[in-house]
Amino acid sequence: MTESALERTARALDLVPYLLEHQGISIGELASVFGVTEKQINQDLVLIHMCGLPGYTPLELIDMYYEDGYVTVSDPQSFKRPRKMGRSEMVSILVSLDLLKSLRSDELRNEIEKLHKKLLTSLQFENPFVVVQDFDDNPFLQDLERAIAKSSTLRIVYLSGNKDERTERTIFPLEIYRANQATYLSAWCQTSNADRTFRLDRIVSCEVAENSEISGTPGYSDVVAEQQGAVLLINKSARNFVENNRAIIENIEDVSGSEELLVKLNPVDSDWLVRTVLGFGGGISVKEPLELASDITSRAQAIQKVYGEK
Amino acid sequence: MSDNKTERLINLTLALLSTKRYLTKSEILENVAGYKGTQEAKERMFERDKDDLRSIGIEIEVGDLDVFFEDEPGYRIPRKSYELVVPELTGRELALISIASNFWNDSILAPSAQSGIRKLQSLGIPAAVDFDFRIKYRFENPTQVLEELSTAINQRSKVTFSYDSTSLKIRHLEPYRVLFWNGFWYLIGMDLDRREIRLFKLSRLVSGIDISKKKNEYEIPTNFEAAAYLPKSDIAIMHRAKINIRKDSALILRNRGTFIEQDGEYETFELSYENEITFLRELIWYETNIRIIEPTTLKAALLALISGVAK
Repeated sequence: MTESALERTARALDLVPYLLEHQGISIGELASVFGVTEKQINQDLVLIHMCGLPGYTPLELIDMYYEDGYVTVSDPQSFKRPRKMGRSEMVSILVSLDLLKSLRSDELRNEIEKLHKKLLTSLQFENPFVVVQDFDDNPFLQDLERAIAKSSTLRIVYLSGNKDERTERTIFPLEIYRANQATYLSAWCQTSNADRTFRLDRIVSCEVAENSEISGTPGYSDVVAEQQGAVLLINKSARNFVENNRAIIENIEDVSGSEELLVKLNPVDSDWLVRTVLGFGGGISVKEPLELASDITSRAQAIQKVYGEK
Repeated sequence: MSDNKTERLINLTLALLSTKRYLTKSEILENVAGYKGTQEAKERMFERDKDDLRSIGIEIEVGDLDVFFEDEPGYRIPRKSYELVVPELTGRELALISIASNFWNDSILAPSAQSGIRKLQSLGIPAAVDFDFRIKYRFENPTQVLEELSTAINQRSKVTFSYDSTSLKIRHLEPYRVLFWNGFWYLIGMDLDRREIRLFKLSRLVSGIDISKKKNEYEIPTNFEAAAYLPKSDIAIMHRAKINIRKDSALILRNRGTFIEQDGEYETFELSYENEITFLRELIWYETNIRIIEPTTLKAALLALISGVAK
């Protein structure tokens, strides 16, 4: 789709004041800041260069020069200050600040809140979005952030849900993220010699490793869990499963004439799938593979036996 | 072609922004570069240009040039309506805004956030980044619907959408707010069929939304608190359960419980829970390594759930 003249005008109007505050910026950086190609930026600059005030003598034109791929504006005419923000620009900034705030429990939270208020009062507009705080504070969060910033190695004690084990691991933390109502750390785990994801609320202890060198020598390698794809029949009462596991879903079909969905999964850890399906009662049934379906049935029966049923 | 029009729009903006007095249409058509053709063609071009500039948020003021010669209106863009006015921001605050806006990744809100930031970065505030700031949010990416709802709420227009629910499929709503909660987007508003305030998960909208053409069709109650309509976590409704846990198992579960006593090959723990189904799923995860002692209602619920699978 080709860009409209109007979109291009809007960008040009924003380019001039930006250039004024970033004198000598490279075309490459400009292109990346404005999310367009270098060729496009070059064409924009040539065009802007020809614009000005009635009379259109050199004195009345927007004056800039570029040399070896770097741009400097010497006379922006009346485009000295940026244009005011539109509603969607304000909304997206305010909502993202709210999201950021919802992740913090430290002093930054107050700072973000003050900033949010400051923007809101000056922008004079109603914000239709509400972000509800859902974040549980984790005692290790700040330590982990510091470790990522400083590239330090950590020793953690971790409770593994899948294996129901308490393990000690040496990890190199990479990224913290919140998803599906939990906070996760992705890290290089030296102990298992592979990338691993940890849930923050299952970390029992965490300290900076003395010898903070990650060695390339493999420790014991975790037994790779058996992974296989599956086809599930999901009642709409169990659609939370679909909403929370989008990442592993390959395909969803409506089953005509019923309130059910036929869901095809990418290969997943079979044990995880069995335990998860058990928790949905009859809401999810496994269509394929058949062995998995019968495994689930017999494990459900085993649970009944605990209570002396059947 | 696109070059010509863009150039003309920039020239027009610049001319109207730089003038202190109103410019008449004939002054504009004569002096601003880019207006070509017959008088009629030029005038049509100018009308379109005005509409275009207004559509990207530029206010063009229309005024009488001279009260004694009311033959022609004049135009200008007042500087204070054109330029961004924000309170003094520190470099640190600007950095916080940039970090926050990165949450949008490549979703529908990302381009707006980025152009907003570029404007803030054009204010001449020195950047300062000194955060150890590594936590991110991964969530259901906002879609076009979010922008549409924002517009509908802003102009108080009713919306109609089809919703994936077992009872009522088509919903008519006075939208009040869009909520982000637990990683998902929700719409809250007055459900006109049920005559009460209801919450809708946006991911369950079957297709897009229809926005009524009318504006100001309703009012949002003053002091409306969207969060008050969410299921609440309430300490008063916390339940307690006694659970037997087999030795050396269900580590995560015991970690949040209180040990009570030894019971043969099991250890008895007291655990508190809020939502029954969530707790049952947590327990079922450990399959035969746990056994519910009390309450009996919880035990019955677990067996009912499991019987759905054990058939």
